[in-house]
Amino acid sequence: MSTCPGCALLCDDIEVVVESGRIKETRNACRRGAARIKGCINRLAPTIDQKPSDIESAIKKAAGILKDSKSPMLFGFSNSTCEAQVKGIQLAKKLGAMIDDTSSFCQGLLIEKILQKKFRTCTLEDVRNKADVLVYWGSDAQDSQPRHLSRFSYFPRGESRQRGYEEDRIAIAIDVRESNTAKICKGHFYRIQPKGDREFILALIDALSGKVPAYEPKKILELAAILKKAEFGVIFVGIGLTYSIKEDFDILVSLADKLPNFQIMPMVGHYNMRGFNENLFKETGFVNRVRFHDTAVHDDKYSIIEALREKSIDALLVAGSDPLSSLTRSLIRHLASIPVICIDPCVTMTSKIAAVTIPCAVSGVESGGTAVRMDGKKIGLSKIIESDYLTDEELLVRLMGAL
Amino acid sequence: MGIDVGKFLKNPEYEIKITTFRDIFQVEAQERDRFGKDYEKLSACIVMSKNDMEKMGLKPGDRVKVANNNGSIVVEVRESKRDEPGGVAFMVNSPWSNVLVSDDTGGKGLPDFKNITAKISLVKEEITSLESLMEYFRKLKQV
Ligand code: SF4
Repeated sequence: MSTCPGCALLCDDIEVVVESGRIKETRNACRRGAARIKGCINRLAPTIDQKPSDIESAIKKAAGILKDSKSPMLFGFSNSTCEAQVKGIQLAKKLGAMIDDTSSFCQGLLIEKILQKKFRTCTLEDVRNKADVLVYWGSDAQDSQPRHLSRFSYFPRGESRQRGYEEDRIAIAIDVRESNTAKICKGHFYRIQPKGDREFILALIDALSGKVPAYEPKKILELAAILKKAEFGVIFVGIGLTYSIKEDFDILVSLADKLPNFQIMPMVGHYNMRGFNENLFKETGFVNRVRFHDTAVHDDKYSIIEALREKSIDALLVAGSDPLSSLTRSLIRHLASIPVICIDPCVTMTSKIAAVTIPCAVSGVESGGTAVRMDGKKIGLSKIIESDYLTDEELLVRLMGAL
Repeated sequence: MGIDVGKFLKNPEYEIKITTFRDIFQVEAQERDRFGKDYEKLSACIVMSKNDMEKMGLKPGDRVKVANNNGSIVVEVRESKRDEPGGVAFMVNSPWSNVLVSDDTGGKGLPDFKNITAKISLVKEEITSLESLMEYFRKLKQV
């Protein structure tokens, strides 16, 4: 059995059929996972200034760029193993650099609060064995973590939930759009307006406090009644909710306080984003947006978004991420004016404008290691096939050596 | 021969709210080949309710320009298969939707990726390709 590095569910029941050193077929994986395991068709090659080069020269050039930089940033790491992330953090320390990852514009806010123990949380095994009320809030698991409902939450049998979805579990979706997950939550889909989550939470807090909510009272009271009856409830917090209440995250803490039988779980996309958050938290007490001086300093201005907006970085190393694709166009203007070093298994939009590209192995397919599942559980990654590519961990070590 | 007045008339523009979503088929296409046709086809589109499409005189398969102060793209219109109340259109999270996202973060490092307001109008232009988005960055590099 192998582990799938397709998303932060890290399914460890994947069978892979390998023929003559190549992946022929995957079993049990969803579409997303199968595509990740089978790999991209455009593998990255080493380049300097977009001209073909070799790994050694590319590493040397990258080291030169980082040495000359007064204000470098290291970014990405959500698709890297924990081992590579630790090396990335060491490199940032050595350089006195900023370090940030995709959680900075994803679930970082929530994971930070979870690591600070502001929320009760549980494991996915707890969900499978005990959960009776599942709330997918701003989360379309069916399209983002496609086996979430079938492996852990709604469909499976569990120790105290022998009859699964037919009788023992209720799934609820709160979303702007009737997502594929919402379609499964038949009769329990609550549609909200964009940015309407705050109003919805406040109304729900009122209803749970015995008041008549000002907003959609009938629906909210009906929902509050279901939540109150839960023996073991879980709110799966998706990016939709996080983005919507980002300025006022404490209202989610207030809601959780009103629901003592509920746990909060972040729905994480990239397979090891939580790993990065935990590794940096262990080292610095912060999950992202850190600059190393003599000590580690955390500030919003050290987020990739603000660093690009304020043009405060003069070199960027990107590992396993594609900021050109995932950031807003207005923000990436600054990327065009600074040298970018791109470490990735595949050609990406960012690699196409990078000063240096360094190919690496696909972690969890061509190299093993560890990663942290969305619920915080450490999971081993398998090396499924041999390859000549160096791992991102090895590349970061070599880069440190070249400095 | 009469003058084709329609030629000079601009198609009406409508204000529209857009939120983004994830689509497993698009994610799958991205994993395989982010420069491929499948990824482009599954990304460069806007999904609207039947009601909104009728109000704006749009049909499935029409090409529309979606633009705001942040940028402008041409994408294909798809009709939502769901019973949507309307008022909000949907785009798959992609480099196309990111063209329209404001960089106004209030210094907090988190743009409103899922809360876009734009103007939409019927056009005949080609759908914005990933290559043309790349071209934009390459030009920036030359400046
Ligand atoms: S749900 Fe996630 S981890 Fe599981 S097979 Fe799909 S992509 Fe892989």
